[in-house]
Amino acid sequence: MSETDLAVIKPEMMKPYVWLQTSDDSIQQVEQEIAMFCPLICQEIIQKGMGSSKNCAICLPQQVSPAMLSLILDYCRFHQVPGRSNKERKSYDEKFVRIDTERLCELTSAADSLQLKPLVDLTSRALARIIEGKTPEEIRDIFHLPDDLTEEEKLEPLRNITADPRIRLLNRLYAKKRKELKERERLKNVEVEEEHVDDRSVDDLLSFINGNDGDPKGVKTSKNKKKNRRKKEQQKNSSLKEASELNKKEVNGHDIRHQSSEAEIISETSYLHYAEDDAFTSKPEFDDGDIDDEIDPALKEKIDREVEDFARRLNSDWPERMQELLSSGQERKTVLFTADGFIRRHA
Amino acid sequence: MVDVMGPDLISDLPQSIIESILVQLPIRDAVRTSILSSKWRYKWASITQLVFDDKCVPPFSNDREVVERSVVKFITRALFLHQGPIHKFQISNSMLQSCPEIDQWILFLSRNDIKVLVMELGEGEFFRIPSSLFNCRKLTRLELSRCELDPPHSFKGFVCLRSLNLHQVLISPDAVESLISRCPLLESLSLSYFDNLALTISAPNLKYLYLEGEFKDICLEDTPLLVEISIAMYMTDDIAEHFEQSSNCNFLKFLGGVPNLEKLVGLIYFTKYLSIGIDSVHLPIMYHNLETIELYQVNFEDTKEILVILRMITSSPNLKELHISGSSNIPIAADAPDLDFWEKGCLSDSALNKLKTVKLSEMGGWPHEIEFIKYLLCRSPVLETLSIIPCVFDMGNNLKMLIELVKCRRASSRGEVIFIHE
Repeated sequence: MSETDLAVIKPEMMKPYVWLQTSDDSIQQVEQEIAMFCPLICQEIIQKGMGSSKNCAICLPQQVSPAMLSLILDYCRFHQVPGRSNKERKSYDEKFVRIDTERLCELTSAADSLQLKPLVDLTSRALARIIEGKTPEEIRDIFHLPDDLTEEEKLEPLRNITADPRIRLLNRLYAKKRKELKERERLKNVEVEEEHVDDRSVDDLLSFINGNDGDPKGVKTSKNKKKNRRKKEQQKNSSLKEASELNKKEVNGHDIRHQSSEAEIISETSYLHYAEDDAFTSKPEFDDGDIDDEIDPALKEKIDREVEDFARRLNSDWPERMQELLSSGQERKTVLFTADGFIRRHA
Repeated sequence: MVDVMGPDLISDLPQSIIESILVQLPIRDAVRTSILSSKWRYKWASITQLVFDDKCVPPFSNDREVVERSVVKFITRALFLHQGPIHKFQISNSMLQSCPEIDQWILFLSRNDIKVLVMELGEGEFFRIPSSLFNCRKLTRLELSRCELDPPHSFKGFVCLRSLNLHQVLISPDAVESLISRCPLLESLSLSYFDNLALTISAPNLKYLYLEGEFKDICLEDTPLLVEISIAMYMTDDIAEHFEQSSNCNFLKFLGGVPNLEKLVGLIYFTKYLSIGIDSVHLPIMYHNLETIELYQVNFEDTKEILVILRMITSSPNLKELHISGSSNIPIAADAPDLDFWEKGCLSDSALNKLKTVKLSEMGGWPHEIEFIKYLLCRSPVLETLSIIPCVFDMGNNLKMLIELVKCRRASSRGEVIFIHE
């Protein structure tokens, strides 16, 4: 080869490299066109001009260990070649995610930090496949999840169990117990929450109810009672739903004058409003795991009894509901508001 | 409780990854993650996509209504426990038919920034879509199956809608047209199983069009960006009559305004529809991007339909792939076919310089079919494969066809003529 030939070949052989620093502070050199496949690296190079030398190596997020970087670069190296068929890519992807679960999770995290979306989708699909169809014990085993939910929390009927009255009863009893447990924890907590609404006596509640006359729709009412309902909602999603179901049954079976489909829809809508209002306002609450009434247990018992009386008077037409009332305290409160909705419409 | 097992691998991943995982699980499994651990209790409740298919409630009973109640309860509970925006909501459950709860779900979704709504209910009474659907301002994709749609007069359109798919939907023709024209960003439109519809489509951003049903008339009034068209036109007596009496040039009306077309697929009576009025007009438009043409159920006895094919081919200088399917009849020795048609100078001599693949199926051995094959072979210098699939495995007829084919002159030295006889 003549000198001129060499001069021509040489620049082509010298591919640009970038310097990357991984979580263990070690720095390595990587072909630029492969590294550029990762949006984060691309951004660092283009916008900030980093990575051209060892001194200004691009500092990768801490989720990217050298091992993970090596895997990710393998992935990029394969996929950045344009000529590959879809079939080839798919088959490479299938093989690529056949790694142990721990590394798969690490890889997902690393890919996410580098904003490499196709790899994140691939790994999360693989993780979904691992989770799919397995029992909770198996899943906890695989991912080392702590089994720290109490039994009654697990029993919350999020799944579609055909309504088993024993489970519902159990739920209510456990919910009560759970509240008591939380109560004890609460006693250590000095912070005063803004909602002490349930300190009111039944009379107060009644006047509150009656005072809100003039609202044609149950919807508005629900907004006013947002705070109250919020508590109930948080703890008794399930029982509310049961109440709504009971409601429906009663409504359908009962020959009430003003019972139009609209009223039914409104009652349903008001429940939806519960869900929404609570959903939006209670989000932070959920994250804290701090969902409670913080009512003094003794006062609660008093309220329970009074509410029961009231409800019994109200619900004398509905024997089935009575059964429910007599067997739990929390459920009654829920029913009270429900019943109220009905009073309103038929006032 | 983090003891001998090792550290928790997954619960502390960012919510976007958890969402990505949960969304790829069937909804039942996703909801069940709530009992895994305290951190997982409500992770599922903020996923932005809810898909309820036939598996979400396993059919535990033969009575559809009982299973339907179960499905309704499940969906209602899921919505109730869910918190945060819902971007995609899909019901593809055959047990679920028209029931009042669906109204409430749609109302709920309309308040939760719904972007993609897919409703494929079971066979049965059509569900009447409530007016709250038309308040979903952020809708980008709407897919409805077996529903009744009645937009209110005040409806100004879905400003963000990009994809509309209506399958077996009861809606008045005016409503369909105005719905289409009021969605300025519409890119993909699919209408199937409509009856007796005369449609004028005005959608400046439309790229993909898929129509299937009994269409009397289709006019693409304002669709300059169309890239892919697939039409299947069924025939009824009404429509046949309409075809007889029509004096328009359908070719021009339909394909006159789609210069960016890349792929055209026509089924059943589409070619017949295009053939009406074709010999009256010379088509000036060239389709420089058109690379694939597929026309099925072409009647090779009708020279006008053949003219449609020829016009399309000669107006597409970059055509790469051609699939033509005949109409499955063995020729009965009737009157002598008008072979002069092929001699007439109305066919240009232009070569099909990019045509690589040709597939001809349901070939009955009509004289016109043979002439067409000859025409293609003479004018395709880069042809690689020409496959022929006869419609009947009658050895006598096929032999006749093969004899004729062997005589054909070929412009392409590399071209293979493959006769598939299995």
